[in-house]
Amino acid sequence: MKKVTDSKKISKKNIAKLLDEWRQEFTVLVPWRDETVAKWARWDGKDTSFLDWYRNTVVPPKAIFFPPMEEMFSFQKDREGYHLELPASDESKQLIFGIRPCDAKALAVLNMTFSDAYEDPYYLAKRNGGVLVGLGCTNPYDSCFCTSLDSSPTDSANVDLMLTDIGDDFLVEAITDKGKALMAKTSLAEAVTRADEARAKDVKETTYAKVTKKIDTEGIKEKLLSGFDNKDLWEKIAAKCISCGICTFLCPTCYCFDINDELVKNQGERFRSWDSCAFPLYTKMPMENPRVEKWRRLRQKVCHKYVFYPMNFDVIACTGCGRCIRLCPVNWDITQTLDNLSAEAQVKMEK
Amino acid sequence: MKDGGMQQKLRSEAKALLEQGKVDYIIGFEAGSLKFTTTPLITSDKDDIDRLVINPFIVNNLSVYLSELKGRAGIVVKGCDSRSIVSLLQDNKVARENVVILGVPCSGIIDLGKVEKLVGKDRDEIDDIIQDRDRVVITVDENRREFPIREVLFDNCLGCELPTPQEYDILLGELTSAASDEDKIASQKKINSLKNIPPEQRWEFWRSEFDRCIRCYACRNICPACFCDRCFVEETEPPWVLPVPRWQDNLVFQVIRNMHVAGRCTDCGECERACPVNIPLRSLTREMYDMVDELFHYKAGMDKEASSFLAAYEATDVEDFIR
Repeated sequence: MKKVTDSKKISKKNIAKLLDEWRQEFTVLVPWRDETVAKWARWDGKDTSFLDWYRNTVVPPKAIFFPPMEEMFSFQKDREGYHLELPASDESKQLIFGIRPCDAKALAVLNMTFSDAYEDPYYLAKRNGGVLVGLGCTNPYDSCFCTSLDSSPTDSANVDLMLTDIGDDFLVEAITDKGKALMAKTSLAEAVTRADEARAKDVKETTYAKVTKKIDTEGIKEKLLSGFDNKDLWEKIAAKCISCGICTFLCPTCYCFDINDELVKNQGERFRSWDSCAFPLYTKMPMENPRVEKWRRLRQKVCHKYVFYPMNFDVIACTGCGRCIRLCPVNWDITQTLDNLSAEAQVKMEK
Repeated sequence: MKDGGMQQKLRSEAKALLEQGKVDYIIGFEAGSLKFTTTPLITSDKDDIDRLVINPFIVNNLSVYLSELKGRAGIVVKGCDSRSIVSLLQDNKVARENVVILGVPCSGIIDLGKVEKLVGKDRDEIDDIIQDRDRVVITVDENRREFPIREVLFDNCLGCELPTPQEYDILLGELTSAASDEDKIASQKKINSLKNIPPEQRWEFWRSEFDRCIRCYACRNICPACFCDRCFVEETEPPWVLPVPRWQDNLVFQVIRNMHVAGRCTDCGECERACPVNIPLRSLTREMYDMVDELFHYKAGMDKEASSFLAAYEATDVEDFIR
């Protein structure tokens, strides 16, 4: 538990003022929606209505640090060879206001990949300069299952500053030095009372209980491995999947990308863009494709999150945000798949 | 016949088909994992049959699975879905003897997005949605509100020309009638509002819509008319469009897709429904549907004996460049 002495509170009425202060130093991004879709956008300096409607965004905040497409460099060819130029970037000081604990945890998961054997300059420049201000959930979706994955709707583990809704105010906990620096600069913070702390504790407990979807992660890696070659089962699991990219693209921890050059005459750009293991093209090689059948692709997706990532980084690469369930056009539900595989492993063990 | 009666009939027919070896599997709907949702059930196990449901939320066009499955299938279809099957028959993607069509006379499918907008709550915050003939009762926090059903049906359902499958082997209920003129007009509202704005403004609209596209290809993969083994966007040597989700590439992808499904699209609305970022794709596909009808007097999936639209030529066609 964080020390209570770090806590302050800020009135909801002062959020616009607070964001305005932060805007002097950072590009402030907030949840935003119009008639189209809920995503992250630059704060307009006025609107804080997201405090009323925001549950989570469709497009996860990973898109801020690892955008759907980005230019890696431009190039020009002349007699001497190729000349490369890096794109100008102004995205190193972004403040994400209101990130949910599941999505903040997902960024911690992404950090592992992007700073492992190779340090990815594009992601890390944005990520290291960014500040995460977390906002605990009060109304999780029926598709959320973060509490089964060592987290909770009010988990402050992966943010710089954590806000908990206690009615007219937010209880604010500074988690990291970045978070403490943010709080040190503002005069809008007030001291918390015992009643505020009690209220925060109560909110955390109540919201935790609102997450009703559960999975059993006990021995999940071993269970999935024991069913890895069960073709019949995987075929059944994948039968309704249409192999689109929704569940991977909009997953806050999926990070696969493709690289393409666009060359016009002697100049062009190199882009990277989101790619998905759901697509047959993803593993297509000159002579063959090891994942022609869709059950193999779906197995890869599930096992990457629940087997391979834990093997490499000792953490499950799923944070229970539930987007893959909510957004799937055929209602393929990963929690049911995990249940089926666990049950099958149980049967196998008993034999 | 009410949904409950149809459901019972479906279960007994489906079980019989499997038991008598007339089909290798059944493609139908079962309850989804989230409130008010249904999900495709594809099974050859007769113990699964009692999970089959029919209700106003059976949204998927299941014919999308036909071209990938081997063997004989019993498939649950609504009117629009049956037209997709007919279209697949015309294109020789499916053989008639390999499908047993279980037809559902459809009175429209409830668009949960419209329900959410109407009551200002998300799907999972709503307690109950009950259809009672031409009314719907929505309960939120014990507060019951009643609306005409047409306010919550999908736009394409409002203008439905064939609610009862024309092509079927077993019909699970009684015939339902096509949309009234008033409802047809309502179904075109979004499209007409786009048609009535100046071209520059319309271009700007689509530019901004396709700027949001993430190229997940859900619109293509959910579409029964998009049956190519290899889509042009997957051509890499050279690429037709880059897989990079720039609005220009996204727009080109969608425009070409729309050309390819001309005369195959039955206005089932699945592309628009599947889109995770809510691009109004039906405004493009329906416009194409109407153009094909107006210029060539052709409606997709109405006549299994007719030649596939894009494979046919007639001397009376409006374009005479080919003569």
